[in-house]
Amino acid sequence: MQQNSTTILVPVIADKVQGLLDQLVEIKRNSKEGISKEFDALSIIHYARWVVIDHGKSYINDEKKRNPKLLFVIDYDGEEGEMLHKVSEISSTILDLVYVFCEGYPPLNTVNTASRKSFLASHVIKDAAVYIGAPGRSVLQIQKEKKLRDFIRDFIDSRTWEDVSPDTVHRKIKEEVLANPDFSYLKEERVSMPHINYFGVVLLGICLLALLPFIIILLLIVHFFYERKDENFTKKRSQLDNDFLTELEVYEDFKNQNQFTQLVDMKEGNVRLLAIKFMFLLSNFLIKFIFTQGKLMGIPTIHFAKWVMFEKNSRVLFFSNFDGSWQQYLGDFIDNSGWGLTGIFSNTKVFPKTNFLITGGAYKEEYFLAWSRNSELVTNFWYTAYPDLSIKNVNNNTRIRVQLMKTLSERQAAKFLKLL
Amino acid sequence: MTRLELENIQGYLIRGYAHMLYSRFVYLQISDAKSFKKWLSQSWKEMTSARHIPDKSKISSTHLNIAFTHAGLGKLGLHEENLGAFSREFRQGMVSDHRTRLLGDFGTSRPEVWNWGGPRNETIHLCLMVFGNDKSANDDLEKDKIVCLNYYDALASQFDAIGVKELFYVDGQTQPDNKEHFGFRDGISQPIIEGSGRVGDKDDVIKAGEFLFGYKNEFGVYPDTPLIVKDQGDLNLLTPDAGGSGHKDIGKDGTFMVMRQLDQDVNKFWGYLNEKTKNPDGSINVAESLKLGAKFMGRWQSGAPVTLFPDSDPGPYSDVNDFGYAKFDKDGLKCPFGSHLRRTNPRDNVDDHGKKESLKLSKQHRIIRRARLYGEIYEGSPTNTTPKGDVGLLFICFNADISRQFEFLQYTWANLPKNKELYNDPDPIIGVKETVEPGEEQNFTVQDEPVSKTIKDLPRVITVKGGAYFFFPSINVLRYLSTI
Repeated sequence: MQQNSTTILVPVIADKVQGLLDQLVEIKRNSKEGISKEFDALSIIHYARWVVIDHGKSYINDEKKRNPKLLFVIDYDGEEGEMLHKVSEISSTILDLVYVFCEGYPPLNTVNTASRKSFLASHVIKDAAVYIGAPGRSVLQIQKEKKLRDFIRDFIDSRTWEDVSPDTVHRKIKEEVLANPDFSYLKEERVSMPHINYFGVVLLGICLLALLPFIIILLLIVHFFYERKDENFTKKRSQLDNDFLTELEVYEDFKNQNQFTQLVDMKEGNVRLLAIKFMFLLSNFLIKFIFTQGKLMGIPTIHFAKWVMFEKNSRVLFFSNFDGSWQQYLGDFIDNSGWGLTGIFSNTKVFPKTNFLITGGAYKEEYFLAWSRNSELVTNFWYTAYPDLSIKNVNNNTRIRVQLMKTLSERQAAKFLKLL
Repeated sequence: MTRLELENIQGYLIRGYAHMLYSRFVYLQISDAKSFKKWLSQSWKEMTSARHIPDKSKISSTHLNIAFTHAGLGKLGLHEENLGAFSREFRQGMVSDHRTRLLGDFGTSRPEVWNWGGPRNETIHLCLMVFGNDKSANDDLEKDKIVCLNYYDALASQFDAIGVKELFYVDGQTQPDNKEHFGFRDGISQPIIEGSGRVGDKDDVIKAGEFLFGYKNEFGVYPDTPLIVKDQGDLNLLTPDAGGSGHKDIGKDGTFMVMRQLDQDVNKFWGYLNEKTKNPDGSINVAESLKLGAKFMGRWQSGAPVTLFPDSDPGPYSDVNDFGYAKFDKDGLKCPFGSHLRRTNPRDNVDDHGKKESLKLSKQHRIIRRARLYGEIYEGSPTNTTPKGDVGLLFICFNADISRQFEFLQYTWANLPKNKELYNDPDPIIGVKETVEPGEEQNFTVQDEPVSKTIKDLPRVITVKGGAYFFFPSINVLRYLSTI
């Protein structure tokens, strides 16, 4: 089943922002260690978050008057319409609690599934690029495969296997699993791991080569006519606002997973817009062709991430759901994908100094870490379906399932056993 | 290549003072800042520097170093704005709600019940580190103790006059063979600061900016050094910010020092290993218990790495440190992925990155360790499990970026159970939680053929008894601090 992501942006009633913020704090207070469990019953939502934006804080002291809005981001299985219907039906209580503070939400005495759904659907905004760490895996599949792995592990640990050949161990595990009615689905539902699309990669390479002269011209224009005029971010982490950091930290690092929300403004001019659109296009192709196995540019810790442009391409949002701590997250980014990240974010205002679009920037570690933290937003509500699994676990569990059902040679069986 | 100004760096960062078997860490409060600064205006000269002294007979028999907490710098009279220029971690100190989560300080390790550094303890302003060595003796702990304590007595007799009040002290000892209380030889692998004049394996040579302000770090940028943003004191004593901000740099040639007092439960540690490896008749299988212990640690008790000596301890003492995991043990069959050493310094094998990238990542998360033992000198083993009284380790480490180095190691690589491809495996020495949530497991996976084994229900074998973050200034900056 295919995973999708939807972003819904709704204006908040002007004088009700505080009410909404308080409501979200209250919901979080009732949650488990910062992780709300409201969407468990739907069994199709991987991650969800509500973020209130434009209610005061601006990372660059932007004077522009903005109206507060509420972002709803959902990563889910299947079609958007079906998901919105389920959310509107099964999670109606929390929707009403939250959206009663928003403009245009149906009055609570008349609201029903259909009107909730049409309200949400009418405020959907488009994603620029979406990354999925375990493409094709539904929430249910992830949960079933976790159970399978735990079952196999318990069986392995129930006896010793000294001097038993790997293929015999594999066979015994398979017998044990298939004898259990809980796992009868394995015989009918065959799955496979997503592959790297080498044909696509080659095609993409040829396209890039063909476009190279234009890309070089773009880089030169950006460098000589834009980057030199840029206002650069030159703060270090020690100079960031204390109270804001404390606010961010309140809901961080409880479990093995964390969330990250970021909002920045585009630099002016069509060249910048062209540059960022090109980077998103490239990202989308790379995600489709290469980053299909649980790693985004070598980063092995991201479950779902995406970029969104809105308000006539003048602003950029970034969302991520990932394993581990903020420090690890950004360290990984710099080492493996500094160029990609710089290529995207150097087109947004007040970024660490770049050269030729993709150098400098993220590689200026201290400024970059500070920039990232400084442009982060408080995620007011966060849902994760499986906080106890890392993305590596999720992918490994599928690999175990796929290999379990195959007939394996001794060498293949030995490899399979390393996955357990 | 960078060349460090060794005369300006306090010695404990560069040199472990390994020959000084006895030390006293004295935690003090400044009661009279004026008197204290007067003392500092003279005694900065007495602080032991990192200067290399080739002629061993000329090395002093006593060493002294000093470090300040954020509150201590405030008490000295550093302006609010200048105090605010230090990193957030140092400003907050080791105790905050968020930091407690990162460090895993819960249950009997919670800061509320710490002996020092917690919210219910008296505020520490500074730590004096006093070392002694009887030069007429050879590795004699008792004789070094006399020299150390005589020096301490001489210092302590002035405490009233120089405006400080002693809160308490921890005596740190070193065994000649450098074994900690679980019985393992410790401190073998240490980063070498580039430009310090020390030599060693190139994979251990780390850019100075990882450990000292004012130099570039492994990312090729200057670390987030504290700057003087509001003028005070004799600014001529300070050098300008290498980062080019135009401000004077109070961090230059200094660093941050992390201190944590970790009680070690020797009985629980070896009792658990004995139980998991016992013979069918219930008796202790010493060889297997030692082997599992070595897998937990990543080295045998002698210090020999299990990566190179997978079957048994070659004994008696080993300093072997020239090995990589990618090269000798990609599948963890010798040194399990979850072992304390492999996860806190994964060398050339971080996640599934290549060797070069792994080494780069490893170098961004190194610390210089300076642990000292407290309590009875005791060498734990499968049959030696019950020391008299509390024993443990005064963990000390140096780093310029507490968040990316010490805290990263404790949280991301030790506490998180998802290292490599693991599922439920925290660091068996320093990462295990005291109590788990329903359904939560804490295991140690031993990679093996044909299939790995799970060692279940790890116990927490250390208890945090206290801790604090200190600023470890350069000698020039000590002099500067006496002028503010």
